Amino acid sequence: MAELNVLGFHAGSSVLHQLDVRFKLMFLVVISLSSLKAFVPSLSLLTLVLMVALIHAGLPLKMALKDLRYVFLLLLFMFIARSLSVPGSSVVEFKTVSVTREGLYEGAIVCWRLVIVIMTGLSFVLTTRSSEIKAAVEWMLKPFPSIPAKRIATMMSLIVRFIPIIFEQAKKTGDAQRARGVENRKNPVYRLKMFSIPLIRRIFERADKLVLAMEARCYSENRTDSLLSSGVRDWIALVGVVCLCLIIIL
Amino acid sequence: MNIIEINNLSHRFADGTVGLENINLCISEGAFVVIAGPNGSGKTTLLKHLNGLLLPTKGVVRLSGVSVAKNLAWSRQMVGMVFQDADSQIVGETVSDDVAFGPENLCLDRDDVKRRVARALETVGLHHYKDQKPHLLSGGEKRRLAIAGILAMEPKVLVFDEPFSSLDYPGVKQILAQMISLHQAGHTILVAAHDLEKLIAHTDRLIIMQDGGIVRDGLPSQLLWELEAFGIREPCASRLGMKVHSWLN
Repeated sequence: MAELNVLGFHAGSSVLHQLDVRFKLMFLVVISLSSLKAFVPSLSLLTLVLMVALIHAGLPLKMALKDLRYVFLLLLFMFIARSLSVPGSSVVEFKTVSVTREGLYEGAIVCWRLVIVIMTGLSFVLTTRSSEIKAAVEWMLKPFPSIPAKRIATMMSLIVRFIPIIFEQAKKTGDAQRARGVENRKNPVYRLKMFSIPLIRRIFERADKLVLAMEARCYSENRTDSLLSSGVRDWIALVGVVCLCLIIIL
Repeated sequence: MNIIEINNLSHRFADGTVGLENINLCISEGAFVVIAGPNGSGKTTLLKHLNGLLLPTKGVVRLSGVSVAKNLAWSRQMVGMVFQDADSQIVGETVSDDVAFGPENLCLDRDDVKRRVARALETVGLHHYKDQKPHLLSGGEKRRLAIAGILAMEPKVLVFDEPFSSLDYPGVKQILAQMISLHQAGHTILVAAHDLEKLIAHTDRLIIMQDGGIVRDGLPSQLLWELEAFGIREPCASRLGMKVHSWLN
């Protein structure tokens, strides 16, 4: 049995699953932009709302934290960098390096905002099929005749579809290398080289096989797309999200 | 009536390697044919010509009298192919999405897609898993999903490339039973395999390939004693001088 990857669609019947994908795309953009203006009280509110939405949508929380562990590592680096680089009143000093109170606060706020963006993206990916994303992008690009809407939409849906496969290949490559004692090699450059080269090769091989399988089943840009239909539920959600964003900004 | 006609088919890969050399072959409608041969003998290359995934360097492949190269989309609908690696064939995010992929590519209307998906899942016995993530299925279930994916396109010919590779005993039995039931339903079945043990009792024609060419073509019972000369293991029962029985008994 393969492991469940959190960065993909999970079938369900939650409110988020039932919302029109065009509205969800709009919510994704609006909430992400609003979070850039948010501070502690509004960030707390946003975190609470998104956490409830994610749990309601059926997110396996423990698995999500495990799958996103490298993102948290990146956030930690950002936090450290901010706390060391922002000038202000010093909390800890060591020779020429000092951690400032303002740096700690700003680092925490920036990381928190990014967590909000990640949570919003996760709730979108978790509840939306890539075919629905394709249909929505195509619909949004329709008013611009010079843009090849179908091609862009297809590429976007394939990227979303391919993310879990890349993670799966990375896990397989990592497992194969650990089984052969790569952890005994302490040089990170060597380990990165030995990990990335076979991983890239595997991803391309897998992409080739996927293309072949899609061609064998007559894949083309012109196909039966997902039905896009909005209802009262979507408009109520829109009002709710706009109110939430206004509370955050004002 | 011949559903597949192959005349003077040769294929050379981009690096000059010979994939197939002067293949001439006719397959009648409703046949159950096994193409056997060691690794690198050209089995998969031959199968990929049947739905135009590879095009001939020389020669022609016809389905019901129509050239594959001249009508690729139609050929791919006519010939459904189950790949050796079932994982690589999965393109949908749920079981029903994956089965719907083919009919959606045929631009069928939504109701027709739903009807075909339900029927294909029912046929392979996966209707209970329709909202499941395909990657969570077992090996045998994944291969049945791949079969459902092509059944939903309503093909006449079903092509299986090493259908039993990396399957456990129950998985092999499930797939074998599925193939036999599809054959009984009127489909033409072609199977590429290097291990004949599981299949030979059910097939009515055996084709042996070596170095990109067909070296033997006939009834399985007449070719069993020649298998080992071409790098194919003779079924156990046959080696012991007994009749080869079905794995389903």
